[in-house]
Amino acid sequence: MEKSTRKNNCHIPCLIHHFLEKSAQLFPDKIALIHENVRASYFQINTAADKLACRLIDLGIKPGDRVAIFLDNCQEYVISYYGILKTGAIAAPLSRDLKPDGLRLLLGKLRPKIIISERKFERRLKAADLDATDLKAMILLNPKIGWKDVSFQVLAWDDLKHQDTALPPDIIIEESSPASIIFTSGTTGTPKGVVLSHKNIVSNTEAICDYLQLTENDVQMVVLPFFYVMGKSLLNTHFAAGGTIVINNTFAYPASVVKQMIDEKVTGFSGVPSTYTYLLHRSPLASKADQLKSLRYCSQAGGHMSLQIKQQLRQILPPHIKIYIMYGATEASARITFLEPKHFETKMESIGKPLANVRLYVLDSNGKEVADGQRGELAAVGPNIMQGYWQEPEATASVLDLKGYHTGDQGYRDKDGFYYLAGRKDNMLKVGGHRINPMEIEDVLMATDLVLETAVVGVPDNLLGHRLIAVIAPKDASVDINRILRICAEKLPKYKQPSELKLVRGLPKKSSGKIDRYRCLQMLEDIEDM
Amino acid sequence: MMDEIKAKIRAFIVENFLYGEDSELDDDTSFLGDGIIDSTGILELVGFLEETFEIEVDDEELLPENLDSLDNVAAYVARKI
Repeated sequence: MEKSTRKNNCHIPCLIHHFLEKSAQLFPDKIALIHENVRASYFQINTAADKLACRLIDLGIKPGDRVAIFLDNCQEYVISYYGILKTGAIAAPLSRDLKPDGLRLLLGKLRPKIIISERKFERRLKAADLDATDLKAMILLNPKIGWKDVSFQVLAWDDLKHQDTALPPDIIIEESSPASIIFTSGTTGTPKGVVLSHKNIVSNTEAICDYLQLTENDVQMVVLPFFYVMGKSLLNTHFAAGGTIVINNTFAYPASVVKQMIDEKVTGFSGVPSTYTYLLHRSPLASKADQLKSLRYCSQAGGHMSLQIKQQLRQILPPHIKIYIMYGATEASARITFLEPKHFETKMESIGKPLANVRLYVLDSNGKEVADGQRGELAAVGPNIMQGYWQEPEATASVLDLKGYHTGDQGYRDKDGFYYLAGRKDNMLKVGGHRINPMEIEDVLMATDLVLETAVVGVPDNLLGHRLIAVIAPKDASVDINRILRICAEKLPKYKQPSELKLVRGLPKKSSGKIDRYRCLQMLEDIEDM
Repeated sequence: MMDEIKAKIRAFIVENFLYGEDSELDDDTSFLGDGIIDSTGILELVGFLEETFEIEVDDEELLPENLDSLDNVAAYVARKI
């Protein structure tokens, strides 16, 4: 019932901020967002976004201009995101991991007219030397340091709230207009800005709402940052459905998240593989799972999650809680495939099938489709596929062609039409004459049940090209390394066995929660230097 | 005793997460909120507390009110030992 209501009320053309506007019309007093002591209704957020949009226009923002958001998840983030979209400008979320050098680089590419940020990032912004950019204004939440002698205006967020205008700006925006530029994490090269149009994001949001059967009764726990495409899709889908999002930025303390899920009667939880590793092994999830009576489903994306974690999750969660395994990419506005929960037990290793409006191909190195069961590169076609990389025509041409978006992920399809991941092209390691997929070795290590999380990386070696080292966070600090090595020797051919295991307490992560392989390598170099 | 505990924890945080620079670290500074420690760092802190003070940190105790500032950690450790 709710699904048809959602579609029938959609404006034409349907733009991202229409999700918020429609829910503000249908459920003005409903709580849209919970964060610490804040409980904001749809009416409040939509009105604040309208006011901000008017203020941004007063400051000179025009359709197509970029406005950067450099904030942790909070109410102001949500207001900024929808406020920017209402002006026809492009919302460009920045990772909280960015340091001054990285910020300078990205802002130099992006050339935003305005940055919206907060006190905790002020020092980094100052060190990034923003005078060298085209910046016209910076809007800061609770500014702390002085900003004298800069070439742009500095405004306090609280001062904007007193603007009287609350009418939505009257601006014509096409569905094909760019709505957001999201930078890829770029651990091995310069980050690229993925340009997504309103249509890209709207079509993907509606497809996700359909398969998760989201309604206004849904309450989503958000521990993933909004600058990460999966975090942003949690926001858009729940605002499209008129549901509620609960922002919790303290996942480093997983017990606090489990407690809030119970208290707020959360119906949906989403995470990347490490999110579930921590919930299973560093939180009271197991002892409190029976209190999660409202929880309808858990969803996982953000890379391959080991079979062991999936099995343990299924074992711990009460049977009424569905598990969705999903696959996507920033370049696909978030989602490409999902595995229907009814197939979870029989196709546990699969990423499922493409969304209704997406097609997925497995291609060989010549771009030809391969037979079922054979491996190749996954390429996706659909309304969710990006317009390209921001001002990088060559990089765009290298991944977008008539066959769609070439994901860089290796995979295959089984005879029943289910897709599987088999590692990333750019993670492959050359050891001696062999090309090694670290994912395969990581799966063997996880299957020992002695390992909490692991990353197999290649350390440059004059003789072999690379030497395999497994960085391991063990479940128990007193683990017997030789036992792990013995299991590897039983399960893997000699050339795939790690030459060394390095035990650590936890693997370095990006803010999205994904394991940071580059920092794993750096960590090994630091250990060698000591 | 509280001051002694806090000094040990401060030294650990400054050495491992602030590269020796402690001017930004007040007793009530939020480790997570101010970006001093991430989730991996929290586990390192827990390991340090367990080894140094010979306590066991239960999963249920992984909460900001126990671990997210020098004041909170020192009070938590004092309760445990």
